[in-house]
Amino acid sequence: MYLELNEEQKLIQETARQFALAELEPVAARLDQTGDQEIFWSNLKKLAELGFMGLNIREEYGGTQAGMVAFSVAITEIARACASTAVTVSVNNLVCDVIQAVGSEAQKKAYIPKICSGEYKAGSFALTEPGAGSDPAAMTTSAALDGDTWVLNGIKRFITSAPYAGVFVVWGVTDKSAPKGKGISCFLVEAGTKGLIVGREEEKMGQHASATTEVMFEDCRIPKEALLGKINDGLKTAVVELIGGRVGIGSLSLGVGLAAMDYATRYAQKRVQFDQEIVKFEAIQWMIADSYTELEAARLLLMQAAFRADQGRSFAKEAAMAKMYASEAANRACYTALQMMGGYGYSKEFPVERYTRDVRIASIYEGTNEIQRKIIAKEILKNLQQA
Amino acid sequence: MKTLLICEYRQGKLLESTYELLAFAQRLNAESAMLLIGSEAAAPAFSGKVYFADAGQYGEYNPDAHKRLVLEAAQKENADYIVFLHSSYGWDLAPRVAAALKAAQVSEIVGMVDGRFEVPACNAKMRRLLKPKTAQAVLTIQAGAFNYQGEARGTPQLERLDLAVSAPRVEFLGYEEAEKKDVDLAKAEVIVSAGRGVGKQENVGIIAALAKVLGGELGATRPVVDAGWVEHTRQVGSSGQTVAPKLYVACGISGSIQHIAGMKKSDFIVAINKDKDAPIGEVADVLVVADVMQLVPALTTRLSK
Amino acid sequence: MKILVCIKHVPDMESRFRVNEAGNWYDERDLAFRLNEYDEFAVEQAVRVKEQLGGAADITILSIGPDRVIEAVKKGLAMGGDRGVHIKDDLVYQKDPWQVASVIAAFARDKNFDLVFTGMQSQDRGSAQIGAAAAELLDYACITTLVSFEISGDVVTARRELEGGMRGAVRFKLPAVVTCQLGLNTPRYPTLPNIMKAKQKELLTFPIADFLNVESLAETEKMYPPERKGRGLVLEGDVNELADKLASILKEKAPALR
Repeated sequence: MYLELNEEQKLIQETARQFALAELEPVAARLDQTGDQEIFWSNLKKLAELGFMGLNIREEYGGTQAGMVAFSVAITEIARACASTAVTVSVNNLVCDVIQAVGSEAQKKAYIPKICSGEYKAGSFALTEPGAGSDPAAMTTSAALDGDTWVLNGIKRFITSAPYAGVFVVWGVTDKSAPKGKGISCFLVEAGTKGLIVGREEEKMGQHASATTEVMFEDCRIPKEALLGKINDGLKTAVVELIGGRVGIGSLSLGVGLAAMDYATRYAQKRVQFDQEIVKFEAIQWMIADSYTELEAARLLLMQAAFRADQGRSFAKEAAMAKMYASEAANRACYTALQMMGGYGYSKEFPVERYTRDVRIASIYEGTNEIQRKIIAKEILKNLQQA
Repeated sequence: MKTLLICEYRQGKLLESTYELLAFAQRLNAESAMLLIGSEAAAPAFSGKVYFADAGQYGEYNPDAHKRLVLEAAQKENADYIVFLHSSYGWDLAPRVAAALKAAQVSEIVGMVDGRFEVPACNAKMRRLLKPKTAQAVLTIQAGAFNYQGEARGTPQLERLDLAVSAPRVEFLGYEEAEKKDVDLAKAEVIVSAGRGVGKQENVGIIAALAKVLGGELGATRPVVDAGWVEHTRQVGSSGQTVAPKLYVACGISGSIQHIAGMKKSDFIVAINKDKDAPIGEVADVLVVADVMQLVPALTTRLSK
Repeated sequence: MKILVCIKHVPDMESRFRVNEAGNWYDERDLAFRLNEYDEFAVEQAVRVKEQLGGAADITILSIGPDRVIEAVKKGLAMGGDRGVHIKDDLVYQKDPWQVASVIAAFARDKNFDLVFTGMQSQDRGSAQIGAAAAELLDYACITTLVSFEISGDVVTARRELEGGMRGAVRFKLPAVVTCQLGLNTPRYPTLPNIMKAKQKELLTFPIADFLNVESLAETEKMYPPERKGRGLVLEGDVNELADKLASILKEKAPALR
């Protein structure tokens, strides 16, 4: 048992931390309030140039090949400063991972380097639909082959980075007669393709700098070679690749939770009520003890999932546990941090209010925590049956 | 015990800090001689021997030649301690002299305890006590740590040093002002300075606003200037300007040695810092333990009324 | 061109320092270490020289200390160094600057480095001796406290930082040892691909005994936190009350408000 990052992982963590402190933290509040996209994009570009967009991607496609542990600590450090930036980096990594996992050599060479280098500001993962959230197999977007082109029709919802993504990974039904989930395929659609229409931005509770929109496909024609992976095998791709994405979202949650508790704890050391710093009250000390213990547990779960991934072992259950636990621990940490600060915590003058809004989505996206629990139980029961 | 004190001389002038060497020698109860590599007219007010070498001949910055002159004077004087200021001149030359003598060097002395030398460590968060193991030692003393009491008097007996030196390996091209000055902090009665604790460039305006209400100038620490948040002409500290205003307000400044050296002679010092244990607390008349970005706006509002 | 960069792995200065059991150094356990800030500028400048020469330079990054210092060496390699040298010594903190300089000089002696870069001082010990002492031992020219550096052929033009906002311009020929002041350049972040590639770069390890052949000249007898003089007034508490108190103090002290 060796619970230490190796030198490369430590240096990646340090680069992420220094960059986050110098470039992200100073603008995070402004991005939240005004959504200043120029600054947001310029930070994404710098992060790409530093190599943060393809942590699991092989060098030949412009990636870092640093592994899942490095990905986890990097996302946590970025999220400590700015959750909007962190989610964009996490999704960009996810999109690269999907293309690397099932794409043709031509597809990998065409798209991955552009995301890794920052030539594309982002990549989008277009799975969710108005009627297909936790149940993606219920999707209705259709993809029909017409000669040499696929024709896409349908609506995707809650698509991260859609207004400025360079490429979309899109799922659609290619075989309506197949059993549910067995007739879905995956495609690569470039931004600007005729018939790909980016809808209006959602007015979200948090993570304001990261745009989330509907994406509509209206007779959107893409070349036959735009099929990503095997025909009718798309849902499996989504399910497998989302496992890694969960490590990203869990790591993001941890970062936001730590930021909130660090801020509130320092505040409690200074805040005086009843003639003493409130940190001297046991009620506050218990909040600090409980929250940091939960966040530490979340970190260990994340490290376990990431470590298994780097070892080439299965990590679906571990990633689901880590995402579920970290996002809930972080939500509780933000709640606690805000409570510790009283009225000041509720004020937009202090960052804990923003952390609280930003972290809320973490128990929902990349698979709701109810789905995570389903995955965890399924994995446990599956092993029992085999025994 | 004998000390040889190495004068600080620049741009044709003896620097006042030279007298701190005398104060240090007094603390040691040591017999002193001095070495001036400068001009005769700039000889220190000191009743004792001053070895003298002409800067016109040897240059103001010429480490190879200066090293040989120091060694020559030290030998003639049979000095136990060769003492420099811990300055860009002193820390540059002292290790060369120490290496030539194979003598111990103790850097940046701030005090003496039980015959040992006390020096700062870990960015002034700690202290070390050092003992040279060699009979002869080279010492550098922290600027401002030893203050010369009263006015220096006396007429030195000059003893001229003449050495044949070879061409310098480092050619000195001249002095430059770091940047053109648009503000003279040395003349300001009130200075309000921003340190790393202000967090970001956008917050500097909040500190500047306080400076304005107090009728003073904005100052800054080195990290803030290096980050480009404030222009270099406003840098306070040994690498910027040394100031002594009537009121100095340090905002989010932990108090590096270099910064404190540049402002500790201020008449009244207020420090606003989150960290109660920050070194700035040692020189502050009032230390306010608070988040500077919360306190300063509240303060400015009250003072503007 | 052959370049040597001497770096140190030091604790994060934001840390809380505790004294070790022997009472003569800080306790290293529980501290997070990183590359000495001054040395970051040294590595950066070395890499810039190499870039200026179109890659026609070879940069060796050297650090002395326990195994943890390899992390600092790897950062140097990730920033652009070509080869790492780890001179292993678990008790490096007990070596005085003279010994450290001697080890560097002994390593460098037969290797004909054209340029040796290092920070002007370390953040923990802060003696500002190593560069100049090593230069004396190697009989190299030495220029300390640089805030600018330009090289053309074998001639360097540079500026030293002096006190009071002044700089001193100097010119010298290689070989030379130079010590770097903060602000000399803007150190780059090591990119992630370069961090990963640093793993493949050569890393040589030597026991310190291979190069250490002098006794220490000075001994650290004791380390301790500075005494709190507590001469000033300390105000703590609620921000609004603090602002009230401080406002009334400042109204007396600021001539403009009187």
